[in-house]
Amino acid sequence: MSEGERERRRRFEALFAAYSPDIVAYCGWRADSASDAQDAVAEVFLTAWRRLDALPEGDAARVWLYATARRVIANQRRSGRRQVALYQRLALDAAVVAQPPPSPTREEALVHEALGRLGRRDREVLLLAEWEGLSPAQIAGVLGCLAITARGRLHRARRRFRTVFEDLLAHDAADQPRREASDVARTPGSPVQPRP
Amino acid sequence: MNTSESLQALRRANPRAKAGFTASAQAAADAVRAQLVTTTAELASDGGAPGPRRRHADPRRRLARAATLGVSLAAAAAMAAVLTVGSPGPGVGTAAAAVKQAATVTAAAAEHSGTAVVRITHNGKIWAGTTIRWRDKDLAVSRDGPGRHGRAGSELLVVDGTLYLFDPADGGWVMAGDPGSIDPDSGTTPEEYLAAVGEDVGGATLRRITDGMTGLTSRQLGDGSTVYSGAVAAGLIAREAGVKGGQPIRVLPFGNVAHDEAADPAALLQVAVTVGGDGVIRQITVTWGTSASAWTYTVNYSRLAATSAPVAPEGARPLRDRLRGSA
Repeated sequence: MSEGERERRRRFEALFAAYSPDIVAYCGWRADSASDAQDAVAEVFLTAWRRLDALPEGDAARVWLYATARRVIANQRRSGRRQVALYQRLALDAAVVAQPPPSPTREEALVHEALGRLGRRDREVLLLAEWEGLSPAQIAGVLGCLAITARGRLHRARRRFRTVFEDLLAHDAADQPRREASDVARTPGSPVQPRP
Repeated sequence: MNTSESLQALRRANPRAKAGFTASAQAAADAVRAQLVTTTAELASDGGAPGPRRRHADPRRRLARAATLGVSLAAAAAMAAVLTVGSPGPGVGTAAAAVKQAATVTAAAAEHSGTAVVRITHNGKIWAGTTIRWRDKDLAVSRDGPGRHGRAGSELLVVDGTLYLFDPADGGWVMAGDPGSIDPDSGTTPEEYLAAVGEDVGGATLRRITDGMTGLTSRQLGDGSTVYSGAVAAGLIAREAGVKGGQPIRVLPFGNVAHDEAADPAALLQVAVTVGGDGVIRQITVTWGTSASAWTYTVNYSRLAATSAPVAPEGARPLRDRLRGSA
């Protein structure tokens, strides 16, 4: 093996070690299922390997990986083959995911509810900033738009998230007494506790 | 609640902020790595053929996922080639497994781009030669054997779905358009030819040949490469590609007509596959015939995943204009 090939492989290993947790996390919330996410991560790094010579250095490589992951997941969703394999995959996923996911806290449940009510574009730009820690310029690199556009989208997404989240919080607070009463009723033998 | 508080709630819900996230993300990354390596090892050990092991839950899941979700097996193998570099021992127990794995890895490397130089000799003299360069869907074919240079069809290009043919009559290029729209009335259509070449530059032909090798022996070369030798039925190398004069025509990979034993699907031809130290196939040599009529067919692979895209020729004339000019 030539020194050039060894160097290429060293670079790839370093890239995988440095950024695979980031790409795993990103694909985790972007993909439709855990197995789709795993496939997407694999595809992203395969693409990185093929195009290693064209890959930017440093932090720009991270942005490149995010942008590639975004395209890979978009392709997954477009793929007609995915529909064909759906039943098989669901059955297999059910077998693999033996343990139920941990229950989210009430606040987390509301955050997820709010995210679900946002438009896809708002949700994406918001989570790239708040969960992935990307700057507007980096988000622009992922989305393929101008930094100023990304900044504007992020601003609007934050504002919309706040509106939806506050609305959900207000409804949740209003529903709390009824929810508590329901919880107590479902627990046999529990005495009804007066609210403080 | 102000924006800052709502964003704080959002940030608290970040999966990354959870205890154990780093470990679980790392585990997921390791799972991806293991998935790709295992998939390649399985393919190498069973040749991709359906069998009882495929019914086991995990391999089926991996293979089904790889095959149906865009992570092609060939692409998976490329990653595996990287991740298993320098440690071919445990995964490759036999010469058969080694040569099959080499085919898988080479197909993966060739998926994006590459160059194949084909040479056929008869009794030690060059009989035909073709150089094929490809990058994604783009392709350049140059037939450069004796007597071919300057003849019609000696050079063709496919760039962005458009076929260009070199026209020796006026020394320029003709833009023939979509290969699928061209019907030459007889013989192989450009679309059929390109489909066959696409199979040859991809993994199908390589796998068919290496899967069919019997009586395998191997020898190490000084440069770190290994030559695997064996016999392959001619029918696995030269495929039937039409009928001429009532006789089936069998064509070698990359489009040359097979002669003598190579045209007999049951005949056993001697095949030598040279695999570089990096696990990628460098050369395939097929020999057949007798001392009176000895044939050698060689494919040399180079610049896999590193071949530049062919460029559309400047000033190419539309086919309609060319036909009008010759009418």
